[in-house]
Amino acid sequence: MSKGVLVDMTKCFGCGACTVACKLWNEKKYDEVNKPTLGEAAQLVDINWTVVSKHDVTDQGGHAAWRFAKKQCLHCVDPACASSCLVGALRKTPEGPVVYHPDLCVGCRYCMVACPFNIPKYEWDKSFPKVSKCQMCFTRVVAGEQPACIAVCPNQVMQFGDRDQLVKTAHQRIAANKGLYIDHLFGETEVGGTAWLYLSDQPFDKLGFKTAVPQESLPAYTWQILSKLPAILLGWTAILSGIYFINKRRNAAAEGKLDRTGGPQA
Amino acid sequence: MTINGTRITFRMTPFRLVLIGFSLIFVGIVAYRLVNGLQMTNLTDAWPWGLWIYVDVKLGVALAAGGFTTAGIYYVLGVKKVKSVVKPAILTAWLGYCLVGFGLLMDLGRWYGWWHPIFSWGEHSVMFELYMCVLLYTIVLTCEFAPVLFKGLGLRKVSSFFTRLTAPLVIGGIALSTMHQSSLGSMYVLTLGKLNELWWTMLLPILYYSSAVAVGPAMVTCETALAGRFFRHDWDAPAMTYLAKWSGYVMTFYTVLRVGDLAVRGQLTALFALDTVSLMCLLELVIGCLLPLWFFWSYKLLGREMTQTMIVRNAVLMVLGVALNRGNVVFTGMAKAAGASYFPSVAELFLTFGLISVGILIYLFIVENFDVFPAHDQQAAPGPAQAHG
Amino acid sequence: MRRKGKSFGAGARLGAIEKRARRVGRKRREMARDRSAREIISAEDVDDMETKSNKGLPCSRRFFLKGLGAAGLSGALATLSGCKDAGKPSGGEGWTPQQYNAPGSWPVQVRGRVPIDPANPSIVRDDRKCILCGQCAEACERVQSVEGFYGLPIKNDITCVNCGQCALWCPTGAIGERDDIARVLRVIGDAKLHVIVQTAPATRIAIGEEFGMPAGSIVEGKMVAALKLLGFDRVFDTNFSADLTIMEEGTELIGRIKAAGGQHESEDHGHAPTALPQFTSCSPGWVKFCEYFYPDLLEHMSTCKSPQQMLGSVAKTYYAKKKGIDPKQIVSVSIMPCTAKKFEAARGEMNSAGALAGNPELRDVNFVLTTRELARMIKRKGIDLANLAPQPYDSLMGEGTGAAVIFAATGGVMEAAVRSGYYLLTGQNPPDALLNLTAVRGLQGVKEASLEVPGFGELRVAVASGLGNARQLLDQIRADKQAGLPPRYHFVEFMACPGGCISGGGQPKTSVPPGDWVRKERIRSIYAIDATIYKKRLSHENKEVLDLYAEYLGQPNGELAHRLLHTTYTDRSGSLTAKNKA
Repeated sequence: MSKGVLVDMTKCFGCGACTVACKLWNEKKYDEVNKPTLGEAAQLVDINWTVVSKHDVTDQGGHAAWRFAKKQCLHCVDPACASSCLVGALRKTPEGPVVYHPDLCVGCRYCMVACPFNIPKYEWDKSFPKVSKCQMCFTRVVAGEQPACIAVCPNQVMQFGDRDQLVKTAHQRIAANKGLYIDHLFGETEVGGTAWLYLSDQPFDKLGFKTAVPQESLPAYTWQILSKLPAILLGWTAILSGIYFINKRRNAAAEGKLDRTGGPQA
Repeated sequence: MTINGTRITFRMTPFRLVLIGFSLIFVGIVAYRLVNGLQMTNLTDAWPWGLWIYVDVKLGVALAAGGFTTAGIYYVLGVKKVKSVVKPAILTAWLGYCLVGFGLLMDLGRWYGWWHPIFSWGEHSVMFELYMCVLLYTIVLTCEFAPVLFKGLGLRKVSSFFTRLTAPLVIGGIALSTMHQSSLGSMYVLTLGKLNELWWTMLLPILYYSSAVAVGPAMVTCETALAGRFFRHDWDAPAMTYLAKWSGYVMTFYTVLRVGDLAVRGQLTALFALDTVSLMCLLELVIGCLLPLWFFWSYKLLGREMTQTMIVRNAVLMVLGVALNRGNVVFTGMAKAAGASYFPSVAELFLTFGLISVGILIYLFIVENFDVFPAHDQQAAPGPAQAHG
Repeated sequence: MRRKGKSFGAGARLGAIEKRARRVGRKRREMARDRSAREIISAEDVDDMETKSNKGLPCSRRFFLKGLGAAGLSGALATLSGCKDAGKPSGGEGWTPQQYNAPGSWPVQVRGRVPIDPANPSIVRDDRKCILCGQCAEACERVQSVEGFYGLPIKNDITCVNCGQCALWCPTGAIGERDDIARVLRVIGDAKLHVIVQTAPATRIAIGEEFGMPAGSIVEGKMVAALKLLGFDRVFDTNFSADLTIMEEGTELIGRIKAAGGQHESEDHGHAPTALPQFTSCSPGWVKFCEYFYPDLLEHMSTCKSPQQMLGSVAKTYYAKKKGIDPKQIVSVSIMPCTAKKFEAARGEMNSAGALAGNPELRDVNFVLTTRELARMIKRKGIDLANLAPQPYDSLMGEGTGAAVIFAATGGVMEAAVRSGYYLLTGQNPPDALLNLTAVRGLQGVKEASLEVPGFGELRVAVASGLGNARQLLDQIRADKQAGLPPRYHFVEFMACPGGCISGGGQPKTSVPPGDWVRKERIRSIYAIDATIYKKRLSHENKEVLDLYAEYLGQPNGELAHRLLHTTYTDRSGSLTAKNKA
């Protein structure tokens, strides 16, 4: 069963424990001065697989309020990055996480171009850089544990479980708290669905989410083209061969002898 | 050492000295890059692809399309009048693909793993298809050009072995080129929502392929015109006219498709929004499509004989247009999604200059020492210095 | 060729690839089998493709097939021999505390940490040291009843009373005070500025621990000597303003009691609240807590500033005038056992001296350093505190009584107030029994006492330390009030930190709570100073305080005293959705 995470952003008070858990578990370096993990300037970079960004908003009562948004790879159901990888270094696992295998990676960075959410980052300062993104604690998940960030959350902002079930739970929560949540489960249909699902009382674009994304799976578009290629390749080769032989025979007839190779040296 | 029974020649001219200078800088940058990674570039998380992908790969592959188009015209369609351009076209295509391969290698963060795709298939990836095709096509081009090389080295048996392979090589080469020229466009299909709608369309593969088929002969025309000036060759009017017509028809097809696609997708208003993005798109269309087609069709409809100037001018416009198109897809169309600016670093620029310089030097060397141009006699040929000066 | 098309899209092969990614609990042999099957298909596909494309070319077909077959086979072999393994996935090489490695949805009891606003004036956190042990959250929620006592979503504030107990509990030192040492060193280095410093009662029995001395070591004179070596121009004692506070707060209390009894003092300026019980206002963490959670009870809060702020405003008025120094040239620094004092000094209304002089930008107290910061400063300067010859505090604001020094311990403000309140009510000094009011001493969270004051009757008092304990008393008072019952107490002392200032959030982390041993040692020393070391034990006998009234302020609670020594409070209930339970 593919796992997912339901994030309730109304419950986050911005302690950033999740970002520390991520650094501890994945042994990422800290650089709060240049690459903060928490606050207005927080952004995903090579050493930050998850950040909590702070946003000034207006709450339901019309008062100024702060909201915190936990950002990380959304682990698409049909990930563009995995479909873009020419060596299969990025893979969607049956358990849900989209996992990166650095030993395979050749560093073409097509995944970074392909990702609709601009999630994969690069270790630009390394000699042999790796792509860098949240792995959804793949090894923990296959061992039956929660991702580190979820386990440490003091407010249980995040709920880990089967994605299908979480979608149902989320809609029940929206229905039961009409005054609180906006009626939009981010990640349910965005780019064909993501493993991480977000509930919020604010429009998602106000929380730094990229909302202008297609609502269908992106690899499906490419696949429409790629799946036709073998047929095109064969057909085209056959047509070219046919034209070649027709022309060769015609030339031979014209010249009265068979040019065996047709090469320019002849 | 001798080639074609004569001593190896390589004339030194100021132009070539400059190229050698660039090449030496290039070697240094390459060494530094291979050890130190991509820190020397201005690439960022917002701009993972930059100048190298644009010039060395996107543009390089498109402009090297002359190889498979002219070979196809000559061998498959059996149009014998383009004979004089076939060998130089294959040579430039071959060099072009070698440089593309090298440029791509420079761009790979973990370049030592360049061979991984052969053993670990990412068959859902357009990039994989592109990699495989470029790899195979480079081998095919090597084989296609092998007869000239081996003949020059006096290995006639090897040469004739490769000569006999020419037909399947050309057909395979066209098939591979069709796949990867279109794939350069398909690659950006995945950027739906990021790439500006003026460029994003499901027709990207067809547009890329058709523009490559149009620009390939145009590039061959440019090269031939340049080489003609350097080496004092005669202008092969029938061949050049044929190529110009070929480019004109295919570019017409491309333009109709491109504008029609914009119209169908309701992007014509965006095209005339007159912001930076739309102006770049208009520039691309005017230079690459409207101007050359205007010249082409006005000659065609008036029944006038196409002059050398007109052919070369059209070819140059088409090459510029395709360069603009590829650049717009890589940079202009992605700028908003990137949300940051990018300008290549000095190292990136010099690596690109160096790569091109190396290519030109190798081209000059091969042209001077091997039997590439039909009536070529290197003893009698005037040095490029004189031609250049 | 249909097979090839299928293999491009087939889920079966995709499944095989994905399986390869799962290394945990997978057998390598199985994986190898998967891989070989896949590669052989690939090689065949290549053959297949080429066969078709070369149909009808007799001269080269065989060679082509052979060559490509060989290439395909060698590829398959290379893959089989492990040339290209997917390898380990990225990440997951570190650790998390054991409590988080529980399977599935097992409820982790102690998790996460407290939120800290990066703009918090009191405390900061260094993520590099945080191990997510959860102790800060334990302190904040279970000891101070702050975290978890407000609803989510939050409003535009991260609820924090700045008490710093999280810093005290933090075992790795990830949470600490906002370091102001550099700023203080800069003003000390500026010869044009007159830098004065005051030291809180609780600092003198704690800072010794930072220098290897036993818990509770009394190092008052050595600390003064160290401060002089550090370059402060004058070293004053917050004990002085603690005595001043007693004069003001005691007078205010009697005013409230008399108002409740229907009497009105002539010098009542009309704005003095009359609600009983009166709450102490010395602890800025407590004050902010009340502003957040019990704004309806703010009328009970004594309008007196804390001793720190009283000394600050007196320094830039009375002291400046007496010494003939421009208040703008005076930089006022305080050494406090407290992180909330940094917040208090930065409160907008804490500019009385400046406001009086028509320069509202002027802060009463410019910089607040915690005891820990002072210890760091002393260490950096290479001063050996333990071997310094003791020095006295400087005059004008250097005298303190035993009643002032016991401010440092829970119940101390109450005891000091009772001593002087007795005098103010009866005109006589209290009997010896009242000088050791043991009922309000000790670490118990909530303490009550009732004493007979001749000519007044029963004076009922209560003391709470630790905000979780305060909450019990406050809920009771609120309930009584809502039920219209007469006040249970006349006077209640609240201290944000359990045990009072001696274990304030800025004190040495020699003993990480919840252990009580060090707290007890510190409290014992405080009462020892009161009982045996200081000559005076009554605030109203402080000569310098009496001089201040005589020469400058006039009467306690008088006009000028109100302007300089009293303050106002802010209802902060709009910054959060208060909850009664975590």
